[in-house]
Amino acid sequence: MSMPLDAEESRSDDALLALYGQGDRLAARVLALRLTPVALRVAQRMLGDPAEAEDVAQEAMLRLWRAAPGWQPGAAKVTTWLYRVVVNLATDRLRRRRTVALDDAPEPEDGRPGALAGLIEADRAAALQAALMVLPERQREAVVLRHLEGLANPEIAAVMGVGIEAVESLVARGKRGLVTALAARRGELGYDGD
Amino acid sequence: MTGTEMERDDTTLADFFVAARRAAPAPSEALMARILDDAEAAMPRGADGRARPGPDPRRRGPLAWFGAFGGWGGVGGLATATLAGLWFGYAGLGDPVSLAASVSAALTGGGEAAETTDLLPGGETVALVAGWEG
Repeated sequence: MSMPLDAEESRSDDALLALYGQGDRLAARVLALRLTPVALRVAQRMLGDPAEAEDVAQEAMLRLWRAAPGWQPGAAKVTTWLYRVVVNLATDRLRRRRTVALDDAPEPEDGRPGALAGLIEADRAAALQAALMVLPERQREAVVLRHLEGLANPEIAAVMGVGIEAVESLVARGKRGLVTALAARRGELGYDGD
Repeated sequence: MTGTEMERDDTTLADFFVAARRAAPAPSEALMARILDDAEAAMPRGADGRARPGPDPRRRGPLAWFGAFGGWGGVGGLATATLAGLWFGYAGLGDPVSLAASVSAALTGGGEAAETTDLLPGGETVALVAGWEG
């Protein structure tokens, strides 16, 4: 039943899921390698906690395996479905815990802003993550999907179950919130801001 | 929010988004192993002969009775018991009253009863049934 790895890697998510449903272990492996990073990225950005993000990614992938037998090819993109599951699982967890304040985010290592370009970049990534965590959840979802995952607004609308105009509004307000949250640290993070 | 404000936000955030994309987490080997274990466990039953679990003993079809009786040994014992039952019935030993009376008479030396007690009446027929002759 299994095809050579090269052949499997060239298949669509839909086709691989159908093959997995027929008992193809290699298809499962290719799907896992392809989709787990996606699930983990979104979970991490929604939750800001690596351990919880792993749990969410694993649970989302488990739901994908279980959905395989009844999957309707062409009815929905596998990635759109997966984004939706991850976002919902992450939202459930967020509702069970308090929001982390921006001030709780890790500080740059030794207070040497601008010392090394790489360090600045790492600091910026950490600062953005901290700023994401203070956004309202829906704004965070929209910004993550639009600007970090690179989804188009119609797909974001499908993931979030809202209209495209609502997505545009959520993204715009989310970015405004990020700028506000980051402004206090603009000096140490090496950007001019306004 | 004006278009100018939005453009300014985009400019401000552009480097942060780039940095965040580059810092995206990668799945650990342990996580991948757990996910593949889940895939194996959730693989639809019957789709892969090697992954298919053993059949439910309650749904193994018309020969399910064979295993239920313990295989060849169990069925052999059942056949022996069946033949023994046939013999008891044919020989008239199935009547506990007459059998008890006959045995009692034999044990107590009770005259005629002892003479007529035959614990293997019709033995030649039993032998036929059991295939001991011919």
